[in-house]
Amino acid sequence: MQKINRNVVLALLSLTSLVFLLFQLCYYKFYLSQKNGAAFSKGRGSQSGQDSTRWHVVRKFLGLISSHNIPVYLIDPLILGLVDKDIEQIRSSPDAPSPECKYFCAPRDFTTFALLDKTWKHDVGLFRTAEKMGFQWLKIINKDPRLDGMDDLSGMEIPLHYIFKLASHAIHLVVFYERSGDFLWHGPLRLKQHMDRKFVPFRKLHFGRYPGAYEKPELLLVSIDDLKVQIPKNPSSFLEEMSYSRFLECRYREARAFFQLYPDDASLEAVEFRKKAKSLLHLAALTLNNLGVKFWLSSGTCLGWYRQCNVIPHSKDVDLGIFIRDYKADIIPAFQKAGLPLKHKFGKVEDSLELSFQGEDDVKLDIFFFYEEDDYIWNGGTQAKSGKKFKYLFPKFTLCWTEFVELKVHVPCETLQYVEANYGPEWKVPVKTWDWKSSPFNVQDNGVWPIDEWDNVIQIY
Amino acid sequence: MEEWKPNPPGKPHKKRSWYLAWKYKLMNQRALRKLCQTGAVLFLLVTVIVNIKLILDTRRAAYEEEEESAQDYDDEMLNVEVPRHPVNNKKVLDVEVYSSRSKVYVAVDGTTVLEDEAREQGRGIHVIVLNQATGHVMAKRVFDTYSPHEDEAMVLFLNMVARGRILIFTIKDEGSFHLKETAKNVLKSLGSQVAPFLSWRDMWTFVGKKGGEVYGEKHAKSPALSTWGDPVLLKTEVHLTSVEDAECHWPDTELNRRRKRFCSKVEGYGSVCSCKDPTPIEFNPDPLKDNKVFDVPVAVIAGNRPNYLYRMLRSLLSAQGVNPQMITVFIDGYYEEPMDVVELFGLSGIQHTPISIKNARVSQHYKASLTATFNLFPDAKFAVVLEEDLDISVDFFSFLSQSIHLLEEDESLYCISAWNDQGYEHTAEDPSLLYRVETMPGLGWVLRKSLYKDELEPKWPTPEKLWDWDMWMRMPEQRKGRECIIPDISRSYHFGIVGLNMNGYFHEAYFKKHKFNTVPNVQLKNVESLRKDNYETEIHRLLGEAEVLDHSKNPCEDSFVPDTEGRIYVMFIRMEQEADFTTWTQLAKCLHIWDLDVRGNHKGLWRLFRKKNHFLVVGVPASPYSSKKPSSVTPIYMEPPAKEEGAVAVPAVAAAEQT
Repeated sequence: MQKINRNVVLALLSLTSLVFLLFQLCYYKFYLSQKNGAAFSKGRGSQSGQDSTRWHVVRKFLGLISSHNIPVYLIDPLILGLVDKDIEQIRSSPDAPSPECKYFCAPRDFTTFALLDKTWKHDVGLFRTAEKMGFQWLKIINKDPRLDGMDDLSGMEIPLHYIFKLASHAIHLVVFYERSGDFLWHGPLRLKQHMDRKFVPFRKLHFGRYPGAYEKPELLLVSIDDLKVQIPKNPSSFLEEMSYSRFLECRYREARAFFQLYPDDASLEAVEFRKKAKSLLHLAALTLNNLGVKFWLSSGTCLGWYRQCNVIPHSKDVDLGIFIRDYKADIIPAFQKAGLPLKHKFGKVEDSLELSFQGEDDVKLDIFFFYEEDDYIWNGGTQAKSGKKFKYLFPKFTLCWTEFVELKVHVPCETLQYVEANYGPEWKVPVKTWDWKSSPFNVQDNGVWPIDEWDNVIQIY
Repeated sequence: MEEWKPNPPGKPHKKRSWYLAWKYKLMNQRALRKLCQTGAVLFLLVTVIVNIKLILDTRRAAYEEEEESAQDYDDEMLNVEVPRHPVNNKKVLDVEVYSSRSKVYVAVDGTTVLEDEAREQGRGIHVIVLNQATGHVMAKRVFDTYSPHEDEAMVLFLNMVARGRILIFTIKDEGSFHLKETAKNVLKSLGSQVAPFLSWRDMWTFVGKKGGEVYGEKHAKSPALSTWGDPVLLKTEVHLTSVEDAECHWPDTELNRRRKRFCSKVEGYGSVCSCKDPTPIEFNPDPLKDNKVFDVPVAVIAGNRPNYLYRMLRSLLSAQGVNPQMITVFIDGYYEEPMDVVELFGLSGIQHTPISIKNARVSQHYKASLTATFNLFPDAKFAVVLEEDLDISVDFFSFLSQSIHLLEEDESLYCISAWNDQGYEHTAEDPSLLYRVETMPGLGWVLRKSLYKDELEPKWPTPEKLWDWDMWMRMPEQRKGRECIIPDISRSYHFGIVGLNMNGYFHEAYFKKHKFNTVPNVQLKNVESLRKDNYETEIHRLLGEAEVLDHSKNPCEDSFVPDTEGRIYVMFIRMEQEADFTTWTQLAKCLHIWDLDVRGNHKGLWRLFRKKNHFLVVGVPASPYSSKKPSSVTPIYMEPPAKEEGAVAVPAVAAAEQT
């Protein structure tokens, strides 16, 4: 009897699992077809030219915001791209009526505008009027990053993005905030759980995948397609800026945890050093920015930013990195003019270039030049007395903006890899005795400079 | 079974085995049966694996789909809205009120909304106001009616509560000693039967609706003077009304929406929630012409004194030239009611998790607030710092607008302050006059960003140092000989009495008689003379013009200064070295001005008014102005009274208390 039962049970089990399997297959098939279907229909929708819809929506939106005295400006990359081609003509005849709808009629899901937060009063009336005009709107708010670095402050959440939808077109309004370091910042677009994920195809938005940092733009009031809008005065440089605008926030929470473990040095020397390092960094940034040389925080300064969002008080110098392709001969005279005499110069442009400038009271500014290879990036070091060369290897990286000691500066986006390459997996532990020839995790011997080149590649002042 | 055509590999085999299983069972062949069983098990395994794979695939697809429609990463995902109206749909509230000698509590629907069993605290009548529609606690007060005047405060409060609110009363320890007739009548008018007869150490609880029904009352008489009445516990039910009935019907505007939100949450703010004639919450004072401080951020430092904050913000928002967008209120702690007040006025507020204790806590709160202010307004060169217990003069911003360029240009300045420590009713006269002083008064002042960022912030006292921020700022290491600019007549008024550092007597003695400017648009006189070197010229001119008073008279007597107006007089007191303030302190004491520490001096010189005459006091020989003393005059010396040991400590402590 028992054996029979076992068989029956087995058979039944098999049967149910079979049914279940079929059910799963059906469901999967159904699911896939639904998803594809949706994608197709959307694609078709946007292709079947809804020409004037976009123009009308933009016009309505501009009417809405001007009735509330809100100064927005156009930052839509696609339109600015078109505008940039005709910029001379648009500038010279700002009021000319346009014969055809050239810019605002290309069928798109979005048109993007920017709003400078401090120029409007968070007037709730705007949204009421918008609703009356038929707009549906969505507000994306989040924590205020300007308070994030502070212990235990909880401010009100701030609006980062607005989306106004009318018919098949949506206006994406990006809110820009002023940050310490004299730049504008916009936040990432992140949907909270209760939000309508299908409100608009968020993925196609041009802004919001990452936070971004921009210079304060000069604006120009133009009339395009018979609509009066403000645009950045120089659209091409705005577009250029946009392509590398990604912003990284300092890891304030981790920094706080770090200081719990290793309390901050509050001694007078530490305070003084930080102050000097900060002003040196400000001076260096000013000098290099004036030359148009792109630089980033490197070595100890980068570690300080990444680990504790501050200058490491025992680091004793400020370290910057520059790609050798951005090297300019004026760098040295420019620094000298800024009051920073050259302390030493090691290497040459073709190999292992490194400059060191003397700042106020023993604080040194080290500039390392980075050489790109196919699968890694490196910079060189030279020991003055022996002529020995060293090579420090880093994985490839790109540059991001961040805010550091009230300055907008670059850091490697892949900061963790960069710091780990330099300082090894134990980078979280402060080390006070540091030898640049042996301590770095990524140092390699790189031979010796030929004696006859010494005069050129080892210059000490 | 015909429909499983698109079969996965395992299936045909399975079909056979299933069929065979029956066959073998009939035939009872062991080997085959075993084979079939193994087959079935295998098949089960296969389906399980396929199923798991399918589930994983679908999930991944679903995940990608979400990624596609939105980059929905969010590190503080849990924004789940907690319903804030737990009793929303209920019609009846169960209320429990307990009154006894050492403990009171009130529970609404099982939630304790008041519990006080601390010793030596919370004596008197506890009052709780509930919203009649939601049952929310709108106000909680305790009036120590054992002490004088507290019953008047209670009457004032009860009169402010809107009709229809639910009031809960309970006595802890003693609440009748100074409960006067008026107060008893008010309680009676609320429907209490017992209130008129409340006597020494009676226990009493009462629940009623203002201007309506009584839900319950219990009373226990004290049998003898030396004993208390038995504890009483009142359990009753309160019927809730509809939300519409509990609200006023103001016109639907943005302002009134804010008002409505506020008035449905809290009570005790008087006419702001009046249905008929609500007091405005937007003031639109005249703008200032050429306002140089329009873009200067204003940080309001607040604790948990929402009524103070309310009063303060009203006066601030009424000041000419105010820019509400630049105001941020920093609340020390997660208190709801101050935040409600901030939202009522449409301002932005920031809450600060308290760090450390007492004075160090205040100090950390200041630091966080200042840092945040400069983060939020990175363009600002200055910040105005205010506290929640200040009235702001109508020309506060005009005063700053006229003087702020000095702070920018004169390196020898530390701050501009709206407060004159020595500016009492009888010692301040001229609203257009400014001074330079070596002390930092605080109480409404302007801070330069560079001073904060380069000097103060990096070495701000850490939480474990229990320092007052203002005492620390006054220390020579920080001040470095720099001075502050102050007006003769203060542009702020310190009305706070219940604070960490204050008590009633202290306030009465040192703050109440302070002069406060109420004249709008005062044109400041000769601002340029406040610059470092110009000021010396100015002082020398004043001393040159001043008449030397008769040093044989007692400077404390009124007759010391002649009965004139608008003259300049000078007196010389003994001051052996820079830090010798013996005589000054005695003089300040008898003039009834600030004497707890030295304030308002500039190189051994004090400037004030007596009988509407400018009155200069020079410390000889420490002050560089001593040379102005005619040789015939002997500086006055006043001996400090012989002190008992304990008295010495008082000024030191109290000095630390003026913030």
